[in-house]
Amino acid sequence: MVKQYEYNQVTSLIADELRKIVGEKYVIYRDEEKLEPFSRDEIPGTKYRHMPEAVVRPATAQEIAAIMKIANREKIPVTPRGAGSGLSGGAVPTHGGIVVSVDRMNRILELDTENMMITVEPGVVSNEINEYLKEYDLFYAGYPMSLETCFIGGNVAENAGGGKAVKYGVTSRYVLGLEVVTPTGEIVEMGGKLIKDVTGYNLVQLMVGSEGTLGFFSKIVLKLTPLPKAQADLLCLFNTIEDAVELVPKIMTQTGITPTSMEFMDRNSVKAACDYLNESLPYEKCGAMLLLTFDGPTREQVEHDYELVGKFIEKHGAQEIYVADNPATTERVWKIRRNIGEAYNIFSSRQSGEDLVVPPAEIPAMLENLQQTAADFGVMAPCFGHAGDGNIHARIVCPPEWSDEKWEKTLPQILEKVYADVSARGGRLSGEHGIGHKRKKYMGHFVSQEYLNLLRGIKLAFDPENIMNPGKIFDL
Amino acid sequence: MRIAVCIKQVPDTKSVKMDPTTGTVVRKGVQSIVNPLDLYALETALQMKETYGAETVAVSMGPPQAIEAVKEAIAMGIDGGALISDRAFAGSDTWATAYILAAAIKQLGHFDLIICGERATDGDTGQIGPEIAAELDMPTVTYVNKLIAAEAKAVKVSRLVEDGAEEVAMELPGVLTVVKEVGEPRLPTLRGKLKAKSTEITSMALKDLELNTSYIGLKGSPTRVVKIFQPKVVRECRKVYAENEGMVEEAVEQLVGFLKSREVLAS
Repeated sequence: MVKQYEYNQVTSLIADELRKIVGEKYVIYRDEEKLEPFSRDEIPGTKYRHMPEAVVRPATAQEIAAIMKIANREKIPVTPRGAGSGLSGGAVPTHGGIVVSVDRMNRILELDTENMMITVEPGVVSNEINEYLKEYDLFYAGYPMSLETCFIGGNVAENAGGGKAVKYGVTSRYVLGLEVVTPTGEIVEMGGKLIKDVTGYNLVQLMVGSEGTLGFFSKIVLKLTPLPKAQADLLCLFNTIEDAVELVPKIMTQTGITPTSMEFMDRNSVKAACDYLNESLPYEKCGAMLLLTFDGPTREQVEHDYELVGKFIEKHGAQEIYVADNPATTERVWKIRRNIGEAYNIFSSRQSGEDLVVPPAEIPAMLENLQQTAADFGVMAPCFGHAGDGNIHARIVCPPEWSDEKWEKTLPQILEKVYADVSARGGRLSGEHGIGHKRKKYMGHFVSQEYLNLLRGIKLAFDPENIMNPGKIFDL
Repeated sequence: MRIAVCIKQVPDTKSVKMDPTTGTVVRKGVQSIVNPLDLYALETALQMKETYGAETVAVSMGPPQAIEAVKEAIAMGIDGGALISDRAFAGSDTWATAYILAAAIKQLGHFDLIICGERATDGDTGQIGPEIAAELDMPTVTYVNKLIAAEAKAVKVSRLVEDGAEEVAMELPGVLTVVKEVGEPRLPTLRGKLKAKSTEITSMALKDLELNTSYIGLKGSPTRVVKIFQPKVVRECRKVYAENEGMVEEAVEQLVGFLKSREVLAS
């Protein structure tokens, strides 16, 4: 049974207290117009939005701690917020209360080239880290697709993945240390500039992906990687989805080469993006595409890798393989992949974006089932995503002639079927977008009650009053 | 039919930054690409090859690394390539460049058609195509947006003009410069990349060409770059309003008066 927590409202007296902590101009209160942007993230539509009562923009860990002390005392829910570019509602204040935006905490604090580590504040735009690192021939490899807008703090909170996960893994691989402000307002150091550290439980990795339910990150220590000097892409066209996806696991096991990314796009996705971009690639006769990226220290190395993999793919039935190895052609092929989402947003706003993840070798069977389910219900389900790491973004798109009522009734039925199949294959609800409140009700399909109870125990150990981003991931 | 396509390697303009004090391009870390508008020239040649059958050759003048541009053209499907490179050519303006390119094209044998892009994204002059035609004493059609038909001795094309398009027939051999509307350039293929690797690119230096050395390089170039600056465009906007329907006449009169005062309309 879901325990009901009673929360209090932000009174004008409390608002005054908040102003004293962060300064007059960094508190938004009783101003609907200015509060509204903090009611949403980037989930299309209005269904998952909720207005906050106040927005506070602190500049230091101490200020966040002071805010949390008040919130605990007054039992007011607090929702942390980065750039608001999330896709599961993590930054949406579902219980009202206070939104704490970390946008002012946007400094790069230290670059330690000897240890190849960088310490940053949570409000730094992820892409800025790499812009900053360019001249040191270093880079931060754990970045997601929305790198030009998202904040590093949000990346850590959601354990963001992205296109390069096949080779470089996801955010968690790069987070070595955190300064955390706990829900009760304590400031705690976790981990540090250490490659190895077994001093107690690995709280750093517990915090990564906690979706803002266990605390704020006021400092983040990231591991860096030498910047690859060369890069090339192969855009491979196949007759059928099966031809493309069946090859995905084999590419690595049979050539011995790990591409940086292996992106999959089915015919519908490619067509939508190409129409949107006016791109004239010969996609009409192809059933699916794979976009592979290779990077390395020298051009020769990259050439060797893509030729070997390219020849392997050619032998296994690719219709055509295009090579992009300069900024102009690279931009052209990646533009297609990056614009699929946007192309579908224009086509229909009634859609559900899924972030399915299965063991990589299960991708072909999972996609086949997904297409069958979509056909059975008469909806479109364009699929694209990071096939190389088992993470597929499927969109369930409502046929234009359906009524809202029919859509609202049918979508859960479709999702039930899709999730049941994904779960049976050892898959999970979300690979990189997070659960938030959007996918919460489906948690039971994927994890046991015992598992949920452990999560609840951890949550209460950190946040006894359940005021930190309540109602996300699971209910207490 | 034999077709030569003139291409240029240029810095990727999207990543180019200007040094604000010297006014020159910061080249560090900037990758080179085939001039984007030359890709349409390559695409035109490849379409002709597919439709009518042709031997296609990409020709580029530039530093040794411009061989990458020639190889990229071959990876797209062009049959062969030549790189014209010599320190003595450095600093050539469009007139000297066209003179050298024409000599190289002559050296490479008979061509029925020479195709150029509209202009290069770095120099932005758009002069090379017509200048090559003048050097080789050939007819030229510029701003071609569509190839209508080709025979052994003539081509029929459509070219864009300010208020539409016109159809033109040109005797061969001749020179075309093409615009984006000819069709989106194809991407290089893996097959093409492998072929480019094993294709020998003809290398041409000063000693290989019949040239008057006083017409080449910086010294042989009649163009003098005195200063590079960003032109300031001064435009003013003036709106004439009619508060209500009855005042339209008055507003029109005001506008006409203004246009007359600026000699846009005859007074």
